[in-house]
Amino acid sequence: MRIDPKRLEEFKAYTIPQIFAKQAEVLRGKPAIRKKYLGIWETITWEKYLKFVKHVAYGLSRVGVKRGDHVAILVDNEPEWLFAELGSQALGAITLNLFTSLMAKELSVLLNRFGARVVFAQDQGQVDKLISIRKEIEGVEKVVYVDPTGMSYYSDPWLISFRDLLDLGREAEEKDPGFFERELSQGRKEDVNLMVMTSGTSGLPKFVMFAHQNIVDMALKWIESSPIEIGDNWISITPSAWIMEQIWGIGVSILSGMVMNFPEMPETLAEDCREIGPSFILTLPRFWEELASRIKVKMQDAGALKKWFYDLGLKIGETCFKRELEELSLPFHLRFLKKLFALLVYNPLLDRVGCSRIKQAITAGHPISPEVIRFLRSIGLNLKQGYGLTEAGGVFQVHPDGEIKLETVGKPLPRTEVKISEDNEILVSTPSLFVGYYQDEETRRKVLENGWLRTGDVGYLDEEGHLVVIGRKEEIMRLRGGESFSPDFIEARLKVSPYIKEAVVFGDGKDYVTGFICLDFVNVRSWAEARMIPYTTYSDLSQQPIVQDLILGEVRRINEQIPLPIRVKKIILLHKMLDPDDEELTRTGKVKRKFVSEKYKDLVEDMYEGKTESQVKDTVVYRDGHISTIFRKVKILDVE
Amino acid sequence: MRAFRGELHVLNEAQPAAGQAELRVEDLFLSFGGLMALNEVSLEVKTGEFLSIIGPNGAGKTSLLNCITGFYRPQKGKIFFNGEEITGLPPHEITKRGISRTFQNIELFPHLSVIENILLGRHLYWRYGFFPACVFSPSVKKEEAKHRRIVEEIIDFLEMQPIRKKLVGSLPYGMRKRVELARALALEPKLLILDEPFAGMVFEEKADMVRFVKEINKRFGLTVILVEHDMGVVMSISERIIVLNFGEKVAEGPPEFIKNHPEVIKAYLGEEA
Repeated sequence: MRIDPKRLEEFKAYTIPQIFAKQAEVLRGKPAIRKKYLGIWETITWEKYLKFVKHVAYGLSRVGVKRGDHVAILVDNEPEWLFAELGSQALGAITLNLFTSLMAKELSVLLNRFGARVVFAQDQGQVDKLISIRKEIEGVEKVVYVDPTGMSYYSDPWLISFRDLLDLGREAEEKDPGFFERELSQGRKEDVNLMVMTSGTSGLPKFVMFAHQNIVDMALKWIESSPIEIGDNWISITPSAWIMEQIWGIGVSILSGMVMNFPEMPETLAEDCREIGPSFILTLPRFWEELASRIKVKMQDAGALKKWFYDLGLKIGETCFKRELEELSLPFHLRFLKKLFALLVYNPLLDRVGCSRIKQAITAGHPISPEVIRFLRSIGLNLKQGYGLTEAGGVFQVHPDGEIKLETVGKPLPRTEVKISEDNEILVSTPSLFVGYYQDEETRRKVLENGWLRTGDVGYLDEEGHLVVIGRKEEIMRLRGGESFSPDFIEARLKVSPYIKEAVVFGDGKDYVTGFICLDFVNVRSWAEARMIPYTTYSDLSQQPIVQDLILGEVRRINEQIPLPIRVKKIILLHKMLDPDDEELTRTGKVKRKFVSEKYKDLVEDMYEGKTESQVKDTVVYRDGHISTIFRKVKILDVE
Repeated sequence: MRAFRGELHVLNEAQPAAGQAELRVEDLFLSFGGLMALNEVSLEVKTGEFLSIIGPNGAGKTSLLNCITGFYRPQKGKIFFNGEEITGLPPHEITKRGISRTFQNIELFPHLSVIENILLGRHLYWRYGFFPACVFSPSVKKEEAKHRRIVEEIIDFLEMQPIRKKLVGSLPYGMRKRVELARALALEPKLLILDEPFAGMVFEEKADMVRFVKEINKRFGLTVILVEHDMGVVMSISERIIVLNFGEKVAEGPPEFIKNHPEVIKAYLGEEA
């Protein structure tokens, strides 16, 4: 059952917490949140959900949070995130979600710039980070920690447990039962309620401000364009600091009555996903790339009979998908075979990875290789490509059902207009566009003109109105021969290989394209173990000739899908994984291209100077905390 | 929900009166033929204390533990637990009195899952008969659920969710040590004896284990005796340390005292020639 469209229309006039309170009254005993705890899925009904949010709001008011205050949320994918965010927003406070993987010094900068008054922290680890920077974040008056494990040794009044906050709230409610409703009714839909960090691939991340009405509008677009019903399942796997988790986890789930499911731990995700059977997943390409390579690697180890069925099923799936792409109808025998193999191969396979009930799967965030989409669609997963950016309220372009095209990112959602500027930049206009950047009016003026947002991406519209994204405008590279290309185009294709986790290519102003490659440690490790290849660490494995041959083979195969002038000529298998803690990746896993090419400048130059080996400086942190520098040799490999 | 985490029924119910664990060992003597393992060793442990026993290889640490837990019978000397003499009692009798332990060389059932291994630690508390179990009566179901919950609390506390259904034989060494600790906790002990729980672990595993052991002692007030080689760990978490060498107690005191004790330095580094 879907939420009545008339009711949805009414929601446009309200704030998110107001809508939430209305929905909770109607949906009452229906499940709103599920969390696996002590091995059992615990259900939180809408009624209980409201109670938690209320108590958090009351508790926060006791701690001193007022309308317009800033509350930072440094919590993993847990129900407490929802309570903290909605509770704060019900009071009229503005929330910002931060990645729990941030380091203390990054946190200090971000919290100060945001001006947080209260911080919700996940556990002892996060609290320790905050305590270490306490002198720098003087504006923070209270830290609320969720997980009490290990916290009994702390007696600092700066800290309060989430449980105690709820108890405070309960007391306050008894004293003044009407307070919550009064505060709730004071909210206006134009008020800013949420800030989201941009990923910061170039420079410092900016805080993008949204008002209630932006979020509501974005959520409504998704509800209008997707078959979401009350009780459908969303599984919360991407960090809440990502815009899409905000739009779906808060916006869509509240407006549509969808159930939020939280896995027990990140490590148990695969199993939990299978138990829940999510109806929708919208996440980063890495998830889908890993899913595809997991299936491929698992099938390599399967028995002969299973393998035979799988190979045949894949062939049939691919044939069907090819016809679908060409918009041809399926002949009778193919339709029959597709149904048969859905029963024999596709459904059991998807069930194994927890994707058998997916109505719609979307990949967005950065480019994905068409190969991944082709593969997953061939085994029956409805995977589509989306495109968007934080400032526009997340993904605003997606393949409509039945109009899948591998190279495009589909069509705009309802009430969204997309056009191409004279210099080929993609512009978007929609009511859910952001309000502005926090304390940065100048940049807002630069990117927002007459209601059109400059995306910073270059692209074009094809004859059917599908958008094709070429890449970041500032990242487009030009070889000395004149060919221009987007590094994303090549990297996304390289990353299809189950043995390649990350790729960074170079070539701006040079004669040919070169690249760094990071191994998929898990898959290469099992590949090496199966061949009895001894190794010690990642960096040892990456410099073994046999592994280098494996990767060279993969690159040669992938090169064939790439136009001749921009094929990768030389590669280096990096001695380490790129890591957000070393500032090489953003927290959502995008490569910070400028930083990486600056840091490894010598390696890149050596590739163009025809050397066969290069030296790289590496820092090693010993157990006692002392740091030393060592030099490692990495080989430069010729692809051809 | 995480906010409500950390209520370990096995440990919470055990204190404070039920958690009483006063151990007294008097003049213990044990020899294997001509080899003297323990000579006149005495020690005392008070409720809630964290005592470590250290010493070079072959100093008699494990022998001492084996005497306390009933695996060896000392030739001379007496052991009292909460006022009752337990010298020479068989291991299961000693376990019943509230002493549980982990082993240096992991003694788990490799072909059972993690949950099953931990559930085995609950066997003392199982309260149903053969016939109700045959028909899986409601009371049996209730009992099963109760014990499973306790096991799940321990799994949550020791952060073993991702491996709960895995066979113990397929787990890495460090994780098996954690399962051993879980099983010892499932016994609802009053006194927990850990025989080299950190041996053979990588740094991260060790750090996790230290965190758990510390939490067990400090937060839940469980009395702990630890035998360990890693001096860094011992010095950082113990309240009192006993040093054994060639079966004899050479020193006893708080970590700072032990660190500078000449006998201890001699035992570990040898004498100057």
